[in-house]
Amino acid sequence: MTVLEAEKLTKDYGDLVALDALDLTVDAGEAVVLVGHNGSGKTTFLRMAAGLLDPSSGEVTIAGNPAGSLEARADLCYIPDNPVLYDDLDVWEHLEYTARLHGADGWEKRAEELLEQLGLIERIDDLPATFSRGLRQKTSLALAFVRPFKVLLVDEPFVGLDASGQATVLDLLDESARAGVAVVVASHQLEIVSRSSRCVALRDGELIYDGAADAADVLSLVKT
Amino acid sequence: MRRERRAWRVADIDWIDALYKAYLTGIVGIVSIALLSAWAGGDRVATSTAQKVAADGPALLGLLAAVVVTVGLRSGERGGPLAIEAADVRHVLLAPVRREIALGPIAQRQLRHVAFTGGLVGIVAGQLAFRRLPGNDIAWIVAGAAFGASLAVGFAGAAMTVSGRHVRRPLGSLVGVALVAWSIVDVLTDHLTSPLSFFGRLALSPIRFHVVDVVPALALLALAALGYASIGGTSLESSERRAALVGQMRFAVTLQDVRTVLLLRRQLAQELPRSRPWFRVNRGPAVWVRDWRGVARWPKGRIARVVALGAVAGAAARAVWDGTTPLIAVAGLAMFVAALDAVEPLGQDLDHPDRGSSVPIVAGSLHLRHLSTAFAVTLLTGAVGLATAVAIGPDRALTAQVGAVTLVVAAGAAVAGAAGSAITSDPASRGEYAALLPPEALGSITAMRLVWPAAVAIAGFVPVVVARAAYTSTNPTAPSPVQAATSVGIIVLLVVAFVGAWVRFRDDARKWMSDAFAEAKASTGASSS
Repeated sequence: MTVLEAEKLTKDYGDLVALDALDLTVDAGEAVVLVGHNGSGKTTFLRMAAGLLDPSSGEVTIAGNPAGSLEARADLCYIPDNPVLYDDLDVWEHLEYTARLHGADGWEKRAEELLEQLGLIERIDDLPATFSRGLRQKTSLALAFVRPFKVLLVDEPFVGLDASGQATVLDLLDESARAGVAVVVASHQLEIVSRSSRCVALRDGELIYDGAADAADVLSLVKT
Repeated sequence: MRRERRAWRVADIDWIDALYKAYLTGIVGIVSIALLSAWAGGDRVATSTAQKVAADGPALLGLLAAVVVTVGLRSGERGGPLAIEAADVRHVLLAPVRREIALGPIAQRQLRHVAFTGGLVGIVAGQLAFRRLPGNDIAWIVAGAAFGASLAVGFAGAAMTVSGRHVRRPLGSLVGVALVAWSIVDVLTDHLTSPLSFFGRLALSPIRFHVVDVVPALALLALAALGYASIGGTSLESSERRAALVGQMRFAVTLQDVRTVLLLRRQLAQELPRSRPWFRVNRGPAVWVRDWRGVARWPKGRIARVVALGAVAGAAARAVWDGTTPLIAVAGLAMFVAALDAVEPLGQDLDHPDRGSSVPIVAGSLHLRHLSTAFAVTLLTGAVGLATAVAIGPDRALTAQVGAVTLVVAAGAAVAGAAGSAITSDPASRGEYAALLPPEALGSITAMRLVWPAAVAIAGFVPVVVARAAYTSTNPTAPSPVQAATSVGIIVLLVVAFVGAWVRFRDDARKWMSDAFAEAKASTGASSS
């Protein structure tokens, strides 16, 4: 079942075309890695799918609903490369607020598991505002996974993470795909490519490869 | 070299522009003084009132001076008041040049600037005072200027001394608290013992002059000299931090971005949320719980500031009731600034639209929900003001009744104004249709965007003015003060409700306008082709 569908999705800034008429579908349970050089359009695509950017033309839907609609927001989880957190809430309060806004049931157990996995259980009462970049990224990951979703979009998940954090991220992504979530990860990390079933490559906003991840020559795909 | 660089910069200034700015400043200053004077009214107060001002005024003005000096001491603890360019910190202060030489011109400029500003405020206050109080007009203006300028210089001097001499935190603050407490004792006991109370008497010297009152003013000037002599010890760490933040703050001011100015000021003051909350909140709707948790982490400094603002609002409202109508602006602005802290959770959602747009709730609805806690917090702030107004007396029962009505209206208006300010500071809130408007209209819109939130907050105190008019009315059919306050309060609350509707539906309205413009553009294109 298709849960993410982009149809002639285009984003331009005057003469500069960030994404050019992209057609893409992702099914439930599929693990897709999105590769491309800097400025190739990966983040633009993810942000349009998350409803944070308006397409210049074309459309993108999440589980049949237009990106950015209330229904799409309920089904989608977007993890940006730059963690965005509140200054005045501790880790647990962040989790509670997010889970309750999404109407998640039984979030407490899931939250504890995630904090344990991410090594944040000892920092549960601390303010993420005082954390290092890596710990903030881990908090952001815990917030993302504390509630249910059908589509997971992740932009450069390894930024600022230590080795154990990276391993946890990979486990969480695998776990999500196994649970039937469509996972789309923008990354240059070969480890993620090797764990994905499908690779999509962009160059200057255009789709240049869409096929099996193990058959992709990633290094040549990310060349400018 | 610095002089040379400055000369280059000055050479870059278009003198026509500079003269135009000076001309505008002059016009605005003159118009402001004229308006304030007219608003204050020209009736001389009764002899008994003048005696009361002469008796109570010095201690109150001394308290004001103590607060200003305390703010200076706290600023010094954070490395203030000098704002040095980041490049100067790296290249000049790290160079083998004596720091007092490097920082001297900056400190002189700062002292000149604060003295001028303080003196100007004092002149305006003197101009207002001589219309209602006994005494010579020139004497009032000179006394106001002397009080304002020496207090401002004392403020900068206190900051420079603490910063340059590395006075350990919280010693500077403790000295400030002691000065404030001393002044409060003077206010409560009606006896002048604090040197700053004598300094306060200097401002009222046109009523009765005492030579001894000049001494505290000279002490403040000596403090400025001591501060100036100490600037070589200014910490590089705090200078570098201030350099980055002050630069950003100035840029935010040029964009009229009140929200960013507030955030940067907090960073400058190193005002971080408490790691351990004052109290726990576990029950209630998600947004309500989230917002109270934010309030529960307010640092002591923020709580003290909000309580002080509540007290200032109450004292100013009391003065409005007693006939000094212009102080309605002080009351409204104090509540407005306090409410800016109360709408912080809304501000954070506006700062990070990514977070808000990831939850399955309409953004306007989420923003509106934030205002319930903000209203409750601002009510508490207003309660401090009400208690202050009642404590000042007389007519405590009537003050409490009118104050209770005003409290609800003023809190609602302050939150509406603060929410409006936070939202209009957000660049995303500025519709694309603005690009289609002529530049002349854009100027007015920019001014309106800056002014309306404060105006709404000030309107929250209109019930006091109307109640006073009813109280002093000789018309037998005039409503009671409480009835009059309630009637006008309902009208103000309707404005507040309108702002609430705008918070909730502004995205829909903007989308509708955007679609209408796109449609109009398309039809214009079709007809021209």
